[in-house]
Amino acid sequence: MKLSKLYILPLLTLFVLGCTDLVENPVGRLIPDGFIKTEKDVQTAIYGAYGKIASDNYWGREMAAAIMLRGDMVDIGNRSTVAARIQINDFNANSTNAMIGTFWPMAYQAVDAVNTAIDGAEALEPTTEIKALIGEAKFLRAFTYFNLVRLFGDIPYIDEPVKDPEAVATISRTAESTVYQSIIDDLNYAKENLPMEHPLEDIRSRPSKGSAYTMLADVYLTMGNWQEAYTHAKWVIDNAGSLNYALEADYQDLFDSGKQDGMPEHIFAIEYKRGSAWPFDVDSHAAFSGMSGSDEVAGWTVTVPSLAVYSTWDSRDYRRKVALADSAHYSEILVPYTEFQGTKRPHIAKYWRFMGVPRDLVTDTENNYAIYRFAEVLLTAAEALNEVSGPTAEARGYVNQVRARARNWAGTATDFPADVDAGISKDDFRTLVLEERRLELSFEFKRWWDIKRRQMGNEVFKGPNALEPHENFNDTKYLLPIRQRDIDLNENLSQNPGY
Amino acid sequence: MKKTDFKSTAFLKSGCKRVLKIMKLTIFLIFLGLTGVSASVYSQSKKLTLNVENGSIREVFDLIESQSEFVFIYKKNVIDPARKVNLKVEDLTIDKILDVLFRDSDVKYEILNRQIILTPDRSVKSKPVDIQSVLQLQQPQQKEVTGKVTDAGGLPLPGVSVIVKGTTIGMVTNTDGEFSLNIPLNAETLQFSFVGMKTVEIAVEGKTTFNVSLTEEIVGIEEVVAIGYGTMRKSDLSGSVASIKAEDLTAFPTIQAMQALQGRASGVHVQATNGEPGSDFRVRIRGAKSISSSSDPLIVVDGFPGVAMPVSEDIQSVEVLKDASATAIYGSRGANGVILVTTKSGKAGKTTIEFNSSYSAQKVLNKLDLLKTADYIDYVNEIEPGRLTGSDFKDTDWQDEVFRQGGIQNYQLAISGGNENAHYYVSGAIYDQNGIVLDSKFDRYSVTSNLDLQALKNLKVGVKLYALREHKNGTVNMEGSGGAGQTGVLSATVLTEPTIPVYNEDGSYHSSFMTGLERDNPVAIAREMAIESESDNLQANFFGEYQIAKNLKFRSTFGAQTWSSRYGNYMPTTMYGGRSINGRGTIDGRRITNLSNENYFTFSENFNEIHDVTLMAGYTYESHRSEFWRAQSENFLSDAFDFWNLSAGSNYRAPNSSLTESELSSYYARLHYKMFDRYLFTFTGRYDGSSKFAKNNKWGFFPSGAVAWNIAEETFMDGIPQISQLKLRGSYGITGNQSIAAYGSLALMRTIPSVMIGNEVVNAVTPNTVANNNLTWEKTAQRDIGVDLGLFDQRILLTADYYYMKTTDQLFQVPLVSYSGYNNMWSNFGSVENKGLELTLSTVNFNGDFKWNTDFNFSRNRNKVLELPDGADVLRSVFPGHMVGIGTTNVLREGYPMGSFFGYIYDGVYQEGDTFIPGGGFEQVAGGEKFRDINGKQDGELTGQPDGQLNSDDRTIIGDPNPDFIWGLNNTFEYKGIDLNVFVQASHGNDIYSFTLFELELMQGFNNSTTSALDRWTPTNTNTDVPRATASRSRISSSRFVYDGSYIRLKNVSVGYRLPQSLLRGSGISYARIYLSGQNLITLTDYPGFDPEVNYLGSTGMGTTSNVNVGYDYGSYPSAKSVTVGVQVKF
Repeated sequence: MKLSKLYILPLLTLFVLGCTDLVENPVGRLIPDGFIKTEKDVQTAIYGAYGKIASDNYWGREMAAAIMLRGDMVDIGNRSTVAARIQINDFNANSTNAMIGTFWPMAYQAVDAVNTAIDGAEALEPTTEIKALIGEAKFLRAFTYFNLVRLFGDIPYIDEPVKDPEAVATISRTAESTVYQSIIDDLNYAKENLPMEHPLEDIRSRPSKGSAYTMLADVYLTMGNWQEAYTHAKWVIDNAGSLNYALEADYQDLFDSGKQDGMPEHIFAIEYKRGSAWPFDVDSHAAFSGMSGSDEVAGWTVTVPSLAVYSTWDSRDYRRKVALADSAHYSEILVPYTEFQGTKRPHIAKYWRFMGVPRDLVTDTENNYAIYRFAEVLLTAAEALNEVSGPTAEARGYVNQVRARARNWAGTATDFPADVDAGISKDDFRTLVLEERRLELSFEFKRWWDIKRRQMGNEVFKGPNALEPHENFNDTKYLLPIRQRDIDLNENLSQNPGY
Repeated sequence: MKKTDFKSTAFLKSGCKRVLKIMKLTIFLIFLGLTGVSASVYSQSKKLTLNVENGSIREVFDLIESQSEFVFIYKKNVIDPARKVNLKVEDLTIDKILDVLFRDSDVKYEILNRQIILTPDRSVKSKPVDIQSVLQLQQPQQKEVTGKVTDAGGLPLPGVSVIVKGTTIGMVTNTDGEFSLNIPLNAETLQFSFVGMKTVEIAVEGKTTFNVSLTEEIVGIEEVVAIGYGTMRKSDLSGSVASIKAEDLTAFPTIQAMQALQGRASGVHVQATNGEPGSDFRVRIRGAKSISSSSDPLIVVDGFPGVAMPVSEDIQSVEVLKDASATAIYGSRGANGVILVTTKSGKAGKTTIEFNSSYSAQKVLNKLDLLKTADYIDYVNEIEPGRLTGSDFKDTDWQDEVFRQGGIQNYQLAISGGNENAHYYVSGAIYDQNGIVLDSKFDRYSVTSNLDLQALKNLKVGVKLYALREHKNGTVNMEGSGGAGQTGVLSATVLTEPTIPVYNEDGSYHSSFMTGLERDNPVAIAREMAIESESDNLQANFFGEYQIAKNLKFRSTFGAQTWSSRYGNYMPTTMYGGRSINGRGTIDGRRITNLSNENYFTFSENFNEIHDVTLMAGYTYESHRSEFWRAQSENFLSDAFDFWNLSAGSNYRAPNSSLTESELSSYYARLHYKMFDRYLFTFTGRYDGSSKFAKNNKWGFFPSGAVAWNIAEETFMDGIPQISQLKLRGSYGITGNQSIAAYGSLALMRTIPSVMIGNEVVNAVTPNTVANNNLTWEKTAQRDIGVDLGLFDQRILLTADYYYMKTTDQLFQVPLVSYSGYNNMWSNFGSVENKGLELTLSTVNFNGDFKWNTDFNFSRNRNKVLELPDGADVLRSVFPGHMVGIGTTNVLREGYPMGSFFGYIYDGVYQEGDTFIPGGGFEQVAGGEKFRDINGKQDGELTGQPDGQLNSDDRTIIGDPNPDFIWGLNNTFEYKGIDLNVFVQASHGNDIYSFTLFELELMQGFNNSTTSALDRWTPTNTNTDVPRATASRSRISSSRFVYDGSYIRLKNVSVGYRLPQSLLRGSGISYARIYLSGQNLITLTDYPGFDPEVNYLGSTGMGTTSNVNVGYDYGSYPSAKSVTVGVQVKF
């Protein structure tokens, strides 16, 4: 009798097992399948892409700094910094370069985030709001691929969410021209479906119709399609009022983090706010460009212009004063750059002078980075129109608008830079606009794109007038190498010539 | 949709839980029910005292019936009621009396309530009748002998069997260790035996009083060891099991019992990660098996798996299960070895009160030789002339400012005792340590309470409780990123310039400004930064063991553990790091709950004295739950709030919380079969299900088998009496490792901050991981061959084992094409092997008045990566975050050990006129660092030949953090109450990669340097391998900072004196010992850092679990040497 009762015990434990199906229910974590059910979910998924774009691995440091270093306006300040940065700057990066290894995957993570959003949104009822969200996602996809295609040429192009990485494990690179066409298609969809202004009118960190037109103008400018570049830029200029775009009165205010939110000159901006969660919402440009050890900023002296950038820049130009710091305080004593500790060169000041946080919180600023601002649209229109119709009064007028603002020296009117001479030739005007872009948009991650699209490398990096000489520059340097790790995993991926 | 799904499963789950609760209650009630029917408490509680001389059995029965309510029921032909017996018993229960009365007779008894039923016992029919016992029962020609049996310490020993040699006449000593026995007049020798004690034989020679002292057996061949779900005689083991004795665990004060295992058992590698009080130990049993998951062994305390090890003082014994035969019973968690802990329990007999107390004074093991002010100024000014001018320089020795004399107070009070039916052990311990670094402190309070009850004749129940509180005031050390804002105390201590004072004139801390970057000085960091944590652990394990039949028992355990901890941190405005943000306070909470239910049957039977079979089978369910939450706030009105009023800050940082749950469910069985005491076979299998694995692969089976041959038992060995034991063992089996985080196989989204609307941070959700529906355990196949050899009556005991282990299906983050949006995915790929040799040698060198015992153990393990995805190297970077540019520091490469250091080979310095090897970022000046060109590329393939330039192809393996072998040597000497113990522990052939020395000796002038800077290259000092001082040197991972970390350490030496009994008489004290000991007094090593026993954890978040990021040193808290005085008293 005793025994028979005991046999119940193992039977009961069997019952426990029946209960234990060992299925995981991850409380507090989300599972992607079927996550997008509402308009709000689409928005949340798109926010994911913004988070990745703003991360230290992408715009916060790695990719933006790489674009900056490749230009002739920014050199390495401290050559004991990470070798990968020096290699990017010196045009001897190879396919295992750590900067590429960081921003290449993050670019594609942002792409996967927008693809996930678009995929989810397309399954919902196509209301105006949903279409606007798809437009927003496509704008971000175009932005990410536009950067990739300019840096790497042919690239793996993916426009669907990757649920099984095996599915894309053997694809080959998509031709540059096809990528450009996809970017244009995305932006055309965006320009048709995005609102003129966002419901919250000051938002510059989300694209509007104007942002899509602006990026299209840039894409066409890059492709040398001057007419389309002009047309799109002109549309933005003509609609500036209803888009709420205008030039800021004081050039310095563009770089004052306290004044940047909703700034009319910003057409599309990447925003940062204190309270980073590494690597997200981390902005290292203040740290990279700041002077190490100064009272103003606990910088790292990484991205520092060559002395020629400063010495060739007219001292009457207010923009030089805003862009560069040629003196700084050390232990409360103001010293000229010749007495800086470490690298004795003027340092970029745009990103720390009004970064909105104490000098030590240098990677956690409140900066907004304009991907496009209205001044650039004016210069794009001027450059494109010059190619189509020569240096017309309209074209010169766009440059003059930019110059007029530069003459406002913190509220005091000056006479430099003067208006463009009406008798200027087409070639000279082309040169003038490119120079105007170099200075107006200095250190704003633009110069390398100009050098590349105008194929100016052999000109600007060589010879006695080079701001930053790199005699090893050649045409293969216009592209970076495809990340070696992916080539190792996918033999169908080819490498760019010269690597 | 998703939400309702979740709800319904949650409902199901809670439904299940309710049923589970009811079920547990049912089991409990069944236990109670069994109690009612199976036996009466009366038979267990009623005690009788009888004294019958030469009386008949019937008279005995009458006497019993008159003294109690028992009634005898028997048939006439079963017993002879006239049989004459002598019986003298005192305070014994009826079953014990009947045992004596019917010993070796053919009568079987059964107690049913108050009825005693006597029946013929057919099983002993064949046994010859023992003439002597018949004699005893029938002949009155006897005499009475009495006496007392004590242990070496003079404590009475109850339960010792006293028999007349060659007969079965005998009895067991009572609770006072006393016995009284009638022996035949012609009896020659009395034999005293007790488990774990050496049997003593004394000639009778007409004596009638025998006071005997038993000593512990040297090496108990009959010793019983825990094997997981049971115990076994050591001689019957067929697997590889190491035992560590209680006295070795308490040889010196330890925070954690794990620390006490170091050097005590072969195959067990225990390594301190740093010397901070309360820091973790890295434990590897037979090497590291996993690339990505934990190789920490499973700890089982009194049958409760996965809980915390109690404090050393409360541990009776530790067994380490090493080979697959021993560990396979733990299936999916056995691959890393199992540490079985048995806590102390009370023994029947007088209440024993034990008090132990010690005090240790501690001092830092060694200091680094750093530059003094004058040399520092020369050095810095050589790099940048004029950087340090003036005369207002101090000469601060930061090591003297930061290190102090530390101390440990350790107390334990234990009370234990019991009677035949109930045993108890209650102990409380306090450990209080002031660390050798300013402001570091650790306290521990613990209580252990073990209770075992023989509730019924057939039912044992018990509960084991362990409660612990730990409180730690920590320091910042081994900082993950380091650098200006986050420098730790120890790195600041060595890096900070000697030229500055500790305090400014206004009493505030003087900051360090070595390169213009402001940092806190180490005293400020130590004193001002609040880092405080408190943990409470409570684990309770209830068991019931029911003897269903003589050869079958059922045991069920219910265990629950909760571990809660709170961590608080406040960086005040008095620190540089806190000044600009007006203070930052953080508070973390964590709670872990583990539940476990084990149920198993054990059947053991001996057939015909030839076949010995033990079969164990059972079922386990476990659940684990881990909760975490955090809040952080900045910008405080005042530092006075510390971290206890986060709302006093005005900048609230993002809060954090998470929950992780997992379950494990298993069936297991083990068969032991022994034939003729010579041939041993063990077969084990466990069928495990874990929630952590993918839906297609939740369940796995883990089998093992072992054979052993006790050669010494063979008749042909009779001629070699010198060999007292010779056993050959062999085993093979497969075990698993499920140590990955929960949810590893699922596709998950994650939230990330994304700045959007009007400068408000909005959260976003984004894909994070891809699913692997086939993810499953790592499997380790292990074979082991061992021999146990005992010589000269076990005075020399040698155990040797060779093992080979291959771990396949490694849980590996297989790289994915990164343009997919995912970098990698958890997958089962790759394999790693470990093979090794273990030796344990125990000798009794002298065993007279002067005793000398030696225990030596030796372990050698070779680790090798066998297979990686595509055979490609996996390059990894581990370094303090601010030391940017170092790049890859270790590599996983097929054919090499895990954790192999990676970098360039340092070839000393360039001299004037040398040809400089070109390469971007490499120095090309006299006095510059010179690296070796060893490899080049041709047509995209490595050639293995120098190509005249330095680039990443020239990196190679520059060190191996795994020791070639480790050993421990323990010698104990004893003479007339004086004991001496000398314990040495060593590690050979392990390399250390020191970032501390890297930073100090880079000769960049960014911080202080060791005195090797005095030998730096200058045009006039060229015969050196220390490069010239220059600010423009890049940090390059090279063999320059890889050192031999071998060491031999005098871990403990102690001298004790046991007060003689004569002194203690009348004091109530039965045992008293005082001792003086020293720990870490001597360390022989060539390692130039603080301490070779180090393991930088860095910012990898891997803790002690990583097998790849090992052997690094950065800013670690150095070990201490201590001198301890202590006293042990028993009442």
